[in-house]
Amino acid sequence: MKTVIIIRFCEIHLKGKNRGYFERLLQSNIESSLKDINHNFTALHSRYVVDDFDINDYDLICDKLKKIPGVHTFSKGLVVDNDFELISEAVLEVCKGKTGTFKVAVNRADKTFPIRSMDACRELGGRVLDNYKDLTVNVSNPDHLINVDIREDGKTFIYCDVEYGISGMPVGSAGKGLLLISGGIDSPVAGYMMAKRGMKLDCVHFHSYPYTGEAAKEKVIELTKKVSEYNGGMNLYVVSFTKIQEAIHKYARDDYMITIMRRIMMRIAERLSKKIGAQAIITGESLGQVASQTIEGMTCTEEVLNMPILRPLVAFDKLDIIKISKDIDTYDTSILPYEDCCTVFLPKFPVIKPSIETAKQEEAKFDMESLIEEAIQNAEKYQF
Amino acid sequence: MVYLDNAATTKPSINALNKAEVFNSENYFNPSGLYSGGISALKEIKSAKEYILSTLRALNKDICFTSCGSESDNLAIFGLSKRGYYCTTKGEHSAVYKSFLELKNRGKQVFFFDLNKDGSVNLEKLLEFVKENEVGFISVMHVNNETGAINDVNFIAKEVKKINPKIIFHVDGVQAYGKIEYAISNDIDLYSISAHKINALKGVGALIFKKGLTLTPLIFGGGQENGLRSGTENVFGIKVFEFAAKEKYENIKDNFQKVLCLKNYIKDNLNKEDFEIISSKNSSPYILTVSAKGLRGETVMHLLEKEGYIVGNGSACSSKNRYSRVIEACGYKKDVLEGVVRISFNPENTLEEIKEFVNVFNLTVENLKKVMQ
Repeated sequence: MKTVIIIRFCEIHLKGKNRGYFERLLQSNIESSLKDINHNFTALHSRYVVDDFDINDYDLICDKLKKIPGVHTFSKGLVVDNDFELISEAVLEVCKGKTGTFKVAVNRADKTFPIRSMDACRELGGRVLDNYKDLTVNVSNPDHLINVDIREDGKTFIYCDVEYGISGMPVGSAGKGLLLISGGIDSPVAGYMMAKRGMKLDCVHFHSYPYTGEAAKEKVIELTKKVSEYNGGMNLYVVSFTKIQEAIHKYARDDYMITIMRRIMMRIAERLSKKIGAQAIITGESLGQVASQTIEGMTCTEEVLNMPILRPLVAFDKLDIIKISKDIDTYDTSILPYEDCCTVFLPKFPVIKPSIETAKQEEAKFDMESLIEEAIQNAEKYQF
Repeated sequence: MVYLDNAATTKPSINALNKAEVFNSENYFNPSGLYSGGISALKEIKSAKEYILSTLRALNKDICFTSCGSESDNLAIFGLSKRGYYCTTKGEHSAVYKSFLELKNRGKQVFFFDLNKDGSVNLEKLLEFVKENEVGFISVMHVNNETGAINDVNFIAKEVKKINPKIIFHVDGVQAYGKIEYAISNDIDLYSISAHKINALKGVGALIFKKGLTLTPLIFGGGQENGLRSGTENVFGIKVFEFAAKEKYENIKDNFQKVLCLKNYIKDNLNKEDFEIISSKNSSPYILTVSAKGLRGETVMHLLEKEGYIVGNGSACSSKNRYSRVIEACGYKKDVLEGVVRISFNPENTLEEIKEFVNVFNLTVENLKKVMQ
């Protein structure tokens, strides 16, 4: 009898001829996530099995599996040879300590196995009842569903509890994006959402030293690390935005400051994307959340782009975003009280419905191009 | 680099470290050990205690070493259960302030005294409250860590005890110890100090308390420090504390005059139209708090760091409440609150570097003002 972890995926089942590609990608993501833990990995039909690990590492493995997009559910179980007595022993082991109602479900893929599934269910259920007085049968809505999977390869898996992963698609299956990360609550969540859909991400952060400090940068580094756990590693580019902000402040209209700032951020992000091979820009914008996130504001910022901009949170309420940020453990870091580049030089009344024409006029007042080039040249890169 | 954030922490004294080195190398024994090494370590702790008590002329007081000033404050505040109001000032360090909020959570009646404009406690209001209410415990800090204001704690304690001698009086002396000459009076029941503010190490503090006062420990275990603070004693840290205190107390008068001179120089030479001086004339010479009106303290701090000067911004800003709770309680408005910068000295700072600093400070603020306009 050996302990195993059985890992299942979900949406990949909907794939047609290219399903193998997704399965292999998920497999390689899981393997690379578990690379520092001694284990044996096997890919079976529609599921993966991890075994031969130190039982003390079980919780660590679970934590890692819960951060791999594409992993739908997984179960700790036992594996034995296709022998009814061994199976029965394993079923009793799995039921140990459980109370309430149960049901045994047998799946007999190995048609050479001498006992038919219905008979096996009855016999195993009977043995459980004989051994555990605290368990009773309920076949329609059991507290514990004991699964017995008799496989064609001569092995049987016995498992009960199911733990949930984050589902989604394997990272790397949906291209590469560049996430604008600010240090607030929304952008790490936006990154997580895209990672969950299989997009490989890098991040860009705009830093305004000395108006914002080292602590603000450290905070973004911390957030990037947390998101990178769902992304199988990540690069962070920190772009110094100070000179650009000072120029905008000096030359442009006060109420257009944020609009122009965001347009320049987009330009920098687009050029950086070209450099690193990103195909889309990701932001944490949510419709109507602040003045720059109105539909007019978004139209005005995206006008400068020749590539898609994805806003996974566009229709999310703040409370829903906060809930996800707590789930992915970025919330506590996000609310650390350091200045970020958007709060420096904040105009009293930012324009809510900016026009592209005015934005262009204001931008023409200073030499944006050289500042943008300089900012990209001096970007610092961090790897996680 | 010129370090002017000495109220946050100080550079450990090399002399004190060297002298105490033996307790990290040869004499590393556990002071609870019954062999000679252990007994000698315990003796060393005892001599450190005697010395530290002597610096405060605290002959009939006891002392318990802790891990920091905050622990000392917590031990004082949670170590006694008194009836009636627990009172403190609106200017306290968070170690006291937050402990009082916790007392409130635990069902105690808590009251915070108002401050004067300089950050010292409003004595009139304090005494009025003590007269009119049943008060069990009062905590007043000696030197305010954000404004440098000095409270005459011996006088306050005396007046309080005239009204009600049963009140327990605690003083957070973290920013005063080793800096201001002071003899602890019999009216003071508890006095907290910290090592790393006087060129010793982080990780050591102490609570001085009246003999016979029965405190409930925060940490239980092997019964060290007469059962008041279990956990193997930090002999090395305690000895560094003792040696650093010696260095301080040997020169306490000279140091006082020296930093006073530095502080006054800055005060007199900052551009009057750009700055508001928050620290009052009678405040601790070790702390000078000013505000670059209309600018952000954090930005000024970063700009000064770029020029090689490290100052504190005195406040932990938060997105909801971005200003210092203490300076706000002094009655300042937003434009002053935003620009708070705390300069805190060490006797090792020289007048030359301070002169240079003032020029840079004036210039930095002037330039930043131009950019922000």
